[in-house]
Amino acid sequence: MKWRVIPLETHDAYKNMSIDEAVLRAIADEKAQSTIRFYRWKPSAVSIGTFQSMRKEVNVDRCRELGVDVIRRITGGGAVYHDFEGEITYSILGPMGMFPRGVRESYRLVCGWIISGLEQLGIKAAFAPINDIIVGGKKISGNAQTRRQGVLLQHGTILYNTDPRTMFNVLNVSSEKISDKMIKSAEERVTSVSSHSDASMQQLYEALLYGFTKDKEFEFGNLSGDEQSSARELEGSVYRTDAWNFSR
Amino acid sequence: MDGFAEQKVPEGKLVGVRLRYGKTIEKVLITGDFFAYPENAVYRIETALEGMPSNSKAGAIAERIAEVVKVEGAELIGVTPEAIADTILKAMTE
Repeated sequence: MKWRVIPLETHDAYKNMSIDEAVLRAIADEKAQSTIRFYRWKPSAVSIGTFQSMRKEVNVDRCRELGVDVIRRITGGGAVYHDFEGEITYSILGPMGMFPRGVRESYRLVCGWIISGLEQLGIKAAFAPINDIIVGGKKISGNAQTRRQGVLLQHGTILYNTDPRTMFNVLNVSSEKISDKMIKSAEERVTSVSSHSDASMQQLYEALLYGFTKDKEFEFGNLSGDEQSSARELEGSVYRTDAWNFSR
Repeated sequence: MDGFAEQKVPEGKLVGVRLRYGKTIEKVLITGDFFAYPENAVYRIETALEGMPSNSKAGAIAERIAEVVKVEGAELIGVTPEAIADTILKAMTE
């Protein structure tokens, strides 16, 4: 079985999440190969977990002022600020039979590929169940998974550098609380590739590409025409709608 | 009446409950950064709790939730039926 790898690309939040679901559906219909994709978010965006409340987690007004998109994912987990300059996101999609049955074990497997990529940059990272990767006790990557129609989708972010001030601006923390103390506390809990390596964003991508494809048969590819139209349809009918994004 | 409560599940994630209730639980929305496979199980849990007497004990609510989880063949990660039940009771008292 050959994996399809879609090289690093940049889209807005709505397109990024629509593509993930379109590929999931295509794999479920046996019309697409198992897929690894890498992407960035432009404009920067906040994504929330599928069960989270948008208004509670996100300062929606501030996001609008700053031109930051807001979107609900189909995966659980927490709110993430996807800074265009600050991270690389990946998605991995394949029939569930390709992955360990246990949720924790399947996280461990895919997170292992990220850890292997970071190792290329001389960064020693470790899996921190349920769904994080840490370096020196601090989170460098958050990951989330869904399993539907017989397909497993895991996506996650690898932090390249952090901007805690903007993060606190867009996530729902009142401005009085954005004290230096709080930003320091974020710095104490979160780290990024740039704190451990001089690698460029491109080098981080290449290292991740290595980690994800090592020991796999793969070919570079793009979305099929069907996947592109399915993504367009999902974008309009789901991911751009308040009915979806503000459903909780 | 409307109620809301949120708590961190020990060794787990954050779970919140927003609800409308009178003598019975009328509407429940479960929020948080936990995981559920399949996700639909959470929506089924919400529906299954509607109509339960508001003075139900935590054990009875947790049992109803566990029943749905079992029927759906679902797995909750980072949250438990007991934690959701406990949060529901808190939402009705806070």
